[in-house]
Amino acid sequence: MYCLPLLGLVASNAPAQPTVLLDAMSQELNRNFSALKEKADPPPYYLSYEITEQEFRSVSGTMGTVDATSGGKSRALDVSIRVGTPKLDNYHRVRGDRGQFTSGAITTFEDNVNSIKRRLWLETDRAYRAAAERLIRIKTNTQVKVAEADDSDDFSTEAPATSVQMPPKLKFTEAQWQEKIRRYSGRFQNYQSVLTSHVSVVSQTDTRYLVNSEGSRLAHGRGFARIVISASSKAADGTDVSSFETFEAVDESGLPDDKIVLAAIDRVANDVSSLLKAPEAQPFVGPAIFSGRAAGVFFHEIFGHRVEGHRQKDESEGQTFTKSVNTKVLPDFLSVVFDPTRKKVNGIDLNGWYDYDDEGVKGRAITAVDKGVLKTFLMSRSPIAGFPVSNGHGRRQPGLEVVSRQSNLLVESTNAVSDARLRQMLLDEVKKQGKPYGLYFRDITGGFTTTQRAGLQAFKVIPVIVYRVYADGRPDELVRGADIVGTPLSSFSKIIATSDKQEVFNGYCGAESGSVPVSAVAPAILVSEIEIEKKAKSNDRPPLLPEPTSMEASKGGAR
Amino acid sequence: MKTSWLKYTAGGLFALTALGILGAQAQQEPADPMFQAMRDEIDRARKLALANLEAPYFVEFTVDEEESFSVSANLGGLLGRRRERFRSPSVDIRVGDYKFDNGNYVGSGVGFGTRYDLGRFPLEDSYPLLRRYFWLLTDSAYKSSVEAISRKRAAMRNLQQGEQLNDFAHADPVKSVRPIRRLTVDEEQWAGRVRALSAIFAEYPDVKNSAVELEISEGGLHLVNSEGTETREPESAALLRARAVAQAPDGMTLRDAATFHAHDAAHLPSDAELRRGISEMAQNVVALSKAPRGEDYSGPVLFEGQAGAQVFAEVLSRNLTLTRRPVGEGAGRGGGGTQNSELDGRMGARVLPDTFDVVDDPTQTEWRGRPLFGSYHVDREGVVPKPLRLIEKGVLKSYLLTRQPVRGFEGSNGRARLPGSFGTSAATVSNLFISATDSVPAAELKKKLIELCRTRNKPYGIIVRRMDFPSTAGLDEVRRLVGGQQGGRPVSMPILVYKVYVDGREELVRGLRFRGFNVRSLKDILASGDDSAVFEYMDNTAPFALVGGAGFTAETCVIAPSILIDDLELHPAEEESPKLPVVSPPDMTR
Repeated sequence: MYCLPLLGLVASNAPAQPTVLLDAMSQELNRNFSALKEKADPPPYYLSYEITEQEFRSVSGTMGTVDATSGGKSRALDVSIRVGTPKLDNYHRVRGDRGQFTSGAITTFEDNVNSIKRRLWLETDRAYRAAAERLIRIKTNTQVKVAEADDSDDFSTEAPATSVQMPPKLKFTEAQWQEKIRRYSGRFQNYQSVLTSHVSVVSQTDTRYLVNSEGSRLAHGRGFARIVISASSKAADGTDVSSFETFEAVDESGLPDDKIVLAAIDRVANDVSSLLKAPEAQPFVGPAIFSGRAAGVFFHEIFGHRVEGHRQKDESEGQTFTKSVNTKVLPDFLSVVFDPTRKKVNGIDLNGWYDYDDEGVKGRAITAVDKGVLKTFLMSRSPIAGFPVSNGHGRRQPGLEVVSRQSNLLVESTNAVSDARLRQMLLDEVKKQGKPYGLYFRDITGGFTTTQRAGLQAFKVIPVIVYRVYADGRPDELVRGADIVGTPLSSFSKIIATSDKQEVFNGYCGAESGSVPVSAVAPAILVSEIEIEKKAKSNDRPPLLPEPTSMEASKGGAR
Repeated sequence: MKTSWLKYTAGGLFALTALGILGAQAQQEPADPMFQAMRDEIDRARKLALANLEAPYFVEFTVDEEESFSVSANLGGLLGRRRERFRSPSVDIRVGDYKFDNGNYVGSGVGFGTRYDLGRFPLEDSYPLLRRYFWLLTDSAYKSSVEAISRKRAAMRNLQQGEQLNDFAHADPVKSVRPIRRLTVDEEQWAGRVRALSAIFAEYPDVKNSAVELEISEGGLHLVNSEGTETREPESAALLRARAVAQAPDGMTLRDAATFHAHDAAHLPSDAELRRGISEMAQNVVALSKAPRGEDYSGPVLFEGQAGAQVFAEVLSRNLTLTRRPVGEGAGRGGGGTQNSELDGRMGARVLPDTFDVVDDPTQTEWRGRPLFGSYHVDREGVVPKPLRLIEKGVLKSYLLTRQPVRGFEGSNGRARLPGSFGTSAATVSNLFISATDSVPAAELKKKLIELCRTRNKPYGIIVRRMDFPSTAGLDEVRRLVGGQQGGRPVSMPILVYKVYVDGREELVRGLRFRGFNVRSLKDILASGDDSAVFEYMDNTAPFALVGGAGFTAETCVIAPSILIDDLELHPAEEESPKLPVVSPPDMTR
């Protein structure tokens, strides 16, 4: 018998009663905070409880069958307790070492006051011990005594927020989705070269309840719905090829209709089939166009992570832009806005919006770069020199400590041309540089970037669909196995122009404080120079035996 | 009885029907998509050959299937609730021959080969889809096996070979196909019961933390191999566990658990019985938090009721399995995956008093009118077990064996019940019967203990009524226990320990651990009771069969008397205790 940890849960139909939970939270917060202030040494100066309630339903399938249905409801508790003073407290960073005090303890998802209060009490006790221990360690740590370049406070002062706005209840028509998933995943039976394929749908609501010792009392949240289509295969030389597409919306009603989904499945399957036959990419330096979606990911990785506020203060970080405020960091036709209040762009739901961040600060739009000039950073309640307050970008996945994170990243351009014109500009650039071809990055799955000093201050993004665009008029040619590499500062200086159409990339971003939903919205960009290198590849052979004949015989499309 | 086969046709070529149940001696090919797909892909797999590398000599496909419902609660509020169904496949491809193959090597069972993004194994019995999955799984497994055997050969060149054991034992083909049931459970009703049971702890404010968990599952194992074995063995269990933690005034953390087992939810104890068991446990934890600390003790210890069976389950049965050190592990890397049996090489030696017999019998399904928890028809390697006399008149006669040859033994006796390390299966007991011919009335044992104390001028003796086996400890505690013991495997912590003064008075004490308690101590059993406790548990391969410590569990049962053992040592635990919370607990509302 196989055992799985008891974590996921199943939906309940009890109506949401924010007041019972919030009342229990504030009563226990006040009781613990005043008792600790009175009796504990060192006493806390701040206490907050955040409970994240997640409810989800999902169906996944392959080749015309459903292989899993799942659902659940859960609540996780994050306790933040600060001892010391806002000037120096237990969250103080010491050369990259951050404190971890919360545990995301599983809490009853029912409004049972005994159970809720016990858990709050136990977790407060646990977090307080860890906080007190770290503060004592920090105070005796000689490294703190060495003057730090940025001696700003550890915690900002913010006005308390009060708002109770429950998100709509989770909607999920399971029977209908089962039927759709069968139909969608069965579509891959038309494509013999695809080895494995999956289609899944998930619908979720996240509700966050927060109280703190400053008087904040919040309940807010939103929905997420997502269709994920993926397929993979193995080329004769062992290269693994894959492609995927996703659709995001706030709830299931916003997800696209069958026609659009089936077209996306055909696209994914055709991409995999084409990649199998595509030549391997060669190392190349030259001009390229990033599609809007690819450009969004590019900006998220290379720019966004480097303007996260906490990195400017941490001396183990590369601090690419720390001293660059009010100086030019991008071409002057580009601006970058982070806007957690923006819910849609061109009718597409954005993944990165929220009402309040995980420190109870209202999300607000910031212009990080105005006409090429850096203006501000993404701020949580951890101040940095020149930026003493939060701008509502303190975010986390339950169970991890908050740091500053991205929300909806929007790249705006005043040097925008039509797609056709942008392509012509690429061809001109190719000719000017005497190259046989330029590159077109249609899709980028994601990437990673090192912001730490100890590492190479470089980035790598992983494009899945890359075309060579020939100067001599030959048709565009798909290539496989390329990674984009580069260093951030030089890459931005090479952006020449953008298209006039914004595209949306919705996804999930992983960093110190876990996975958070984000969006990146950008027009296509033309760069005069980008470098690609060969991707590490597997040397395994494709399957030794042919596909079972029965499968081939059963092909011929959906029933 | 319901079968799980769902109707599905792909392209109209394979009309799959809801099947009846196949008899154990079915001659015809069953029209069963799972078996048919396994068979057909095994046939193809046998012809596999990569360049000039050898073809497989043995291919086995297994699919573990489980459908479960679990729910947990704390103080009357549900913490989690989940219904799940999944299948987990495994493909064993052996290259070489029975004498020397890719097994018994540190790289066995490691995926060297291609990995395909297969996601979850299909739940629907679509023949073409199942074949496709087995096809790709076989491809990965075969590539891993040829890689493993070549690495193993290279490693062997540098090793002095001692005794040459074969790598795999022959087994007779077996056909044994039994139905796997779908799970039927009233989820609402059980969620309500678990919620209500968890609220019992609201009456015990001194209990710091508590939880009640229920897990009900139906499932089983499908197996087909190239030797012609085809088996489908159902497995089902229902388990309800309550746990509680309290803290003594000096900070020591005390915990206990009460666990109830049955083959299905309907046979779990009644609410009244569950309530009684959980309340008793809650009272014990509170009593422990107020009890005095125990002191160093050396002398006779009486293991009463369940504790006697727990001693046999832990100290004896875990040593009845022989493990083989895989090639390439090297010597002296102790504490790793291979913990040698303390009974290794003691075949024919006396290991218990000569009045004791020990029999493991998976074929028996009932004992004194009560269903036995550890019964099965065929093991995880498709071998049919028979009753096994392990110890006769105190003398060791056999071990629990799988198809992996071990020193002195080749050939399984059908005890492969869990996945083991390095691609092997692990053996464990089924229904283990311990009996003694000279038992005394159970009530006499306490008198005997007191007599012993009197004659030896000891102020008190010790009675243990509950051991922490399978352990509900946290990982930190297990690490301390495993790390803290010198020589031999440590024994789990005794939870309910009583001093018995010579006037018969009992006093609960806390914080004691055994020192040097091992299988040799069982030769010093002075007396056994005429009672027989039936102790059911989920065994796994983790230390102390730690609850949640390993992915797979096996239903197990030990039927044993109370025992009085001479000369055991107990000492106070030396652990750092956390301070008491600064803030008092919140008031409990009823």
